[in-house]
Amino acid sequence: MDVLPFLVTQCLNALSQAALLFFLGCGLTLIFGIMRIVNFAHGAFFMLGAYVGWSAVRLTGNFWLALIAAPLLVGGFGAAFELGILRRLYGRDGHAFLMVTFGLTLVMGEVIRLLWGVEALQVQIPAALSDIVFILDEPFPIYRLFLAGSGIVVGLTIWQFLERTRLGLLIRATSQNAEMVHALGTDVRLVRSAVFGIGCGLAGIGGVLAAPMVTASLGMAPNAVIDTFVIVIIGGMGSFLGSMIGALLVAFVQVFGSYYFPDLAMAFMYLIMLTILVVRPGGLLGKEA
Amino acid sequence: MRTTLAVAALLALMPLGLPPYAMTLLTEALIMGLFAMSLDLMVGYARLISFGHAAAYGLGAYTCGNILLHTDIPLPFAVLLSGLFSGTVSIGVAWVCTQATGVSFSMLTLAFAQLLYAVAFKWTDATGASDGLAGIPRRPGPFGTTFFASKIGFYYLTMACLFGGFLFARALVRSPFGAVLRGIRENEAKTLSLGYNTRLYKIAVVAASYMLGGMAGALYAPFAGFANTELLFWLLSGQVLIMVIVGGTGTLVGPILGAAFFLFVQQQLSIYTDSWALFFGVIFIGFVLFAPQGILGLARRGRPTEQHR
Repeated sequence: MDVLPFLVTQCLNALSQAALLFFLGCGLTLIFGIMRIVNFAHGAFFMLGAYVGWSAVRLTGNFWLALIAAPLLVGGFGAAFELGILRRLYGRDGHAFLMVTFGLTLVMGEVIRLLWGVEALQVQIPAALSDIVFILDEPFPIYRLFLAGSGIVVGLTIWQFLERTRLGLLIRATSQNAEMVHALGTDVRLVRSAVFGIGCGLAGIGGVLAAPMVTASLGMAPNAVIDTFVIVIIGGMGSFLGSMIGALLVAFVQVFGSYYFPDLAMAFMYLIMLTILVVRPGGLLGKEA
Repeated sequence: MRTTLAVAALLALMPLGLPPYAMTLLTEALIMGLFAMSLDLMVGYARLISFGHAAAYGLGAYTCGNILLHTDIPLPFAVLLSGLFSGTVSIGVAWVCTQATGVSFSMLTLAFAQLLYAVAFKWTDATGASDGLAGIPRRPGPFGTTFFASKIGFYYLTMACLFGGFLFARALVRSPFGAVLRGIRENEAKTLSLGYNTRLYKIAVVAASYMLGGMAGALYAPFAGFANTELLFWLLSGQVLIMVIVGGTGTLVGPILGAAFFLFVQQQLSIYTDSWALFFGVIFIGFVLFAPQGILGLARRGRPTEQHR
């Protein structure tokens, strides 16, 4: 195999991987940036997205419907959890959230096991995307290109949403000074519920998109949550751009690392994270130390 | 002190009345109790919320496993050595992790534990990779005695470690050193401005915590006869944190009760349902929401609180 086609396809692989990681990372960082909550259950929401997506595809036979339904359901569940449980914890220190969401991870994992069983569930790639294209004479699945593209689209959408819309403005304002926003007549609590829902919904999109590639399985949540933390910690908790950089960095390390140093790829990822944290305790683009 | 002795006497009498399977469970509860108590040193006294305490446990377990498999060192000494090793390694870990504070510290400890987990998967010579170390023996000795290799003897060894560890930890938190730790817990900036090098204190308490946690892991390896990567996994770190919170942070005794409670509930629930984790998650969320002081806090509610906490 020539070097150039190999490099190009591997880079595209890494990009599609980065897109999935970005869906997770930007949701987590959004929630942390606005609410100062470290959502340990983020991987569980990702997993829930994959399972709901599987059911939706089975019921409707349409992947695109699943792609709309799953994030709505997952996001709705997230917002409901914020309303019912997390809201009682504001004013407590940050670790209370970490622990409650850890408990939620256990609960969601078990409920999903009870509802969908222990077997890994395969989601069919939609017919339009199941082909293979040739890039510099190397075969490459279209679905991965679609993933990379959707990562870019969603990234731009969120960016524009935060910059251009009224809700986006409120969210940014809340992250800077929640009391002032509240004093000016906006119910900050609703903004928080919305943000938590949106963050979880993003994880849900990631879950649906990941399902055709990795199958929906009970091991998804722990793997995802650790990777997500790595991304967000590298990029800086609360930084949107940081989560994008983190996702790219981790994805490239994972793809190229597992090819060149299969034994060290996983350790390498954590080493990078530790190094960055030692040099910049707040992460690459984080504000606080 | 009187209560401690009474509890020790009661536990020492247990082998007379309990059937073997209950002794196994009790031994495991004591090991877990030591592990949870070691974490409480960090969480309850210095507000260092480690989300990677499995690192201490796994380090101890793998070290002890290797010592027992490859040398003739008697079991009790192997446990002590493993604890010391774990504590020594943790000085480096703590030096890095205490660069950060708050939630970042939690994440750093998690990263370290995961790094060890990743290494354990690949370092086949020392860890047996995904198969783990199997057939870890209980080496006889010291002085040729085979007492500690027996089921009852191992129970007494575990008990001795737990009580030794408890007395050590209690002496630590009641000393001037412990007073500085509580200063860090309540207001680190103020403690720093009073002239205490808080970072050194934090590193020291992490080392003490890892030493005891390493001993717990070291006991687990010959208890179960194996050591695998599960012992380094983040799930265990989360579970032990649950034990500490549910038991009551900053009490030392509470987390031991929390560990016993955890194992007991897990064992009872698993008789009736496979989904014990579901109930456990709900119980845990309930504790964080409604009883952040934990079991011991609930028991003490209404009574005057002890000021030395």
